Amino acid sequence: MATILGGIGTSHVPTIGGAYDRSKQNDPDWAPLFRGYERVSEWLEVKKPNVLVFFYNDHASTFFFDHYPTFALGVSETYPIADEGLGPRAVPPLEGHAGLARHMADCLVNDEFDISVFQDLPIDHGVHSPLTMFWPPAPDWPGKIVPIEVNVLQHPVPTPMRCWKLGQAVRRAVLSYPENLKVVIVGTGGLSHQMNGERAGFNNEKWDMKFLDLIARDPKKLTAMRHADYIRLGGTEGAEEIMWLAMRGALSPRARKIHQNYYLPMTTAMAVALFEEPAAKTSSKKPRSARKASFRTRAARAGIQRRFQP
Amino acid sequence: MNPQLKGAEKLAGTYLFDLATSAKALRLNRFLHGLTVAANRTLFKDDPDAAFEKAALSAEERTMVRELDWAALIRYGGSFFCLEKLGRVKGVSNPEMVAGFRGETLEQFLKTRNVPGAR
Repeated sequence: MATILGGIGTSHVPTIGGAYDRSKQNDPDWAPLFRGYERVSEWLEVKKPNVLVFFYNDHASTFFFDHYPTFALGVSETYPIADEGLGPRAVPPLEGHAGLARHMADCLVNDEFDISVFQDLPIDHGVHSPLTMFWPPAPDWPGKIVPIEVNVLQHPVPTPMRCWKLGQAVRRAVLSYPENLKVVIVGTGGLSHQMNGERAGFNNEKWDMKFLDLIARDPKKLTAMRHADYIRLGGTEGAEEIMWLAMRGALSPRARKIHQNYYLPMTTAMAVALFEEPAAKTSSKKPRSARKASFRTRAARAGIQRRFQP
Repeated sequence: MNPQLKGAEKLAGTYLFDLATSAKALRLNRFLHGLTVAANRTLFKDDPDAAFEKAALSAEERTMVRELDWAALIRYGGSFFCLEKLGRVKGVSNPEMVAGFRGETLEQFLKTRNVPGAR
């Protein structure tokens, strides 16, 4: 059965990918950002997941407001890199795990999450800007992705609670996949920033720190907040943080934050946080421990339901 | 009104992109989104008036786009993420666009940042 090793929360601002493409590792203005991702890439190197499930948002690159999906699940074997006005970024097309994605579509819809699906559509910096920081192509991508698009552009956008519940449903879907896949969940966006109006350039480091604490320790508090709260505290685009909530909802209550980095050089607070599931420790062993992991996983699922069902 | 947004309308200098705004600026945003297609970019660079005509932009919309009046474009209902495509095509960076929203020059805006060189 598939297992979830942990999760990653990360900003996806395009300059992260830009700094990677321009090899800014040793530039003092960018080095603190690169250093912050080192622990994440080392962890992935050791854990070797097969698939990263990405909660991300499209930036009116692929989808347009004539039909902007609230939630959309990618079910392709491959995704072209989107052209965002300068031609596609020079990284290979993203590889999708179609088998897992189709299974997730079946599970989600039968779990009353009537998600829309897409295939053969390009994906923008919402996924690949942070991806090259911790899973760079060398020259091919180290594994596959399953992208889940979330509308954070055009209100009404889904509530924080709904994103949390989507995460829980994605957890049930992934854990019921019969193949022995190792999966990591990624939530992208944020932290504080605003890209419109005279309030553009707004940041709130104090709120960002509180968010990074709550997402690990008491995510339920974050699900009870409204979008107006997120916008007031973190700016209109800071509200992208609901995609971190989807990631956290897909982890067990016992997942632990083992690393975080925060860097606010310009307009967007760039953060990354790494979460590890306790069950992941035994996942590299043989069949007996695999059964143990499966039992632990079931217990963790029951734990979530007991603790968070309204 | 969307109960999730109640109170956010009181935030000064903040433009929420909701369905009413989206409907009002749909034609403008469709034009901007269209700049993700290379042929549309070429037409816009070679003959902006022909590109505006093809997109049936109003005189007001054409002026804002021609003048890269970022503050006016946002007030009108332009989505930042569609305007970003225009920025890329015209070689204008996001910090320059943000400075425009704030009514500042790029230099003034950069003075308010922690690491002005991180562009």
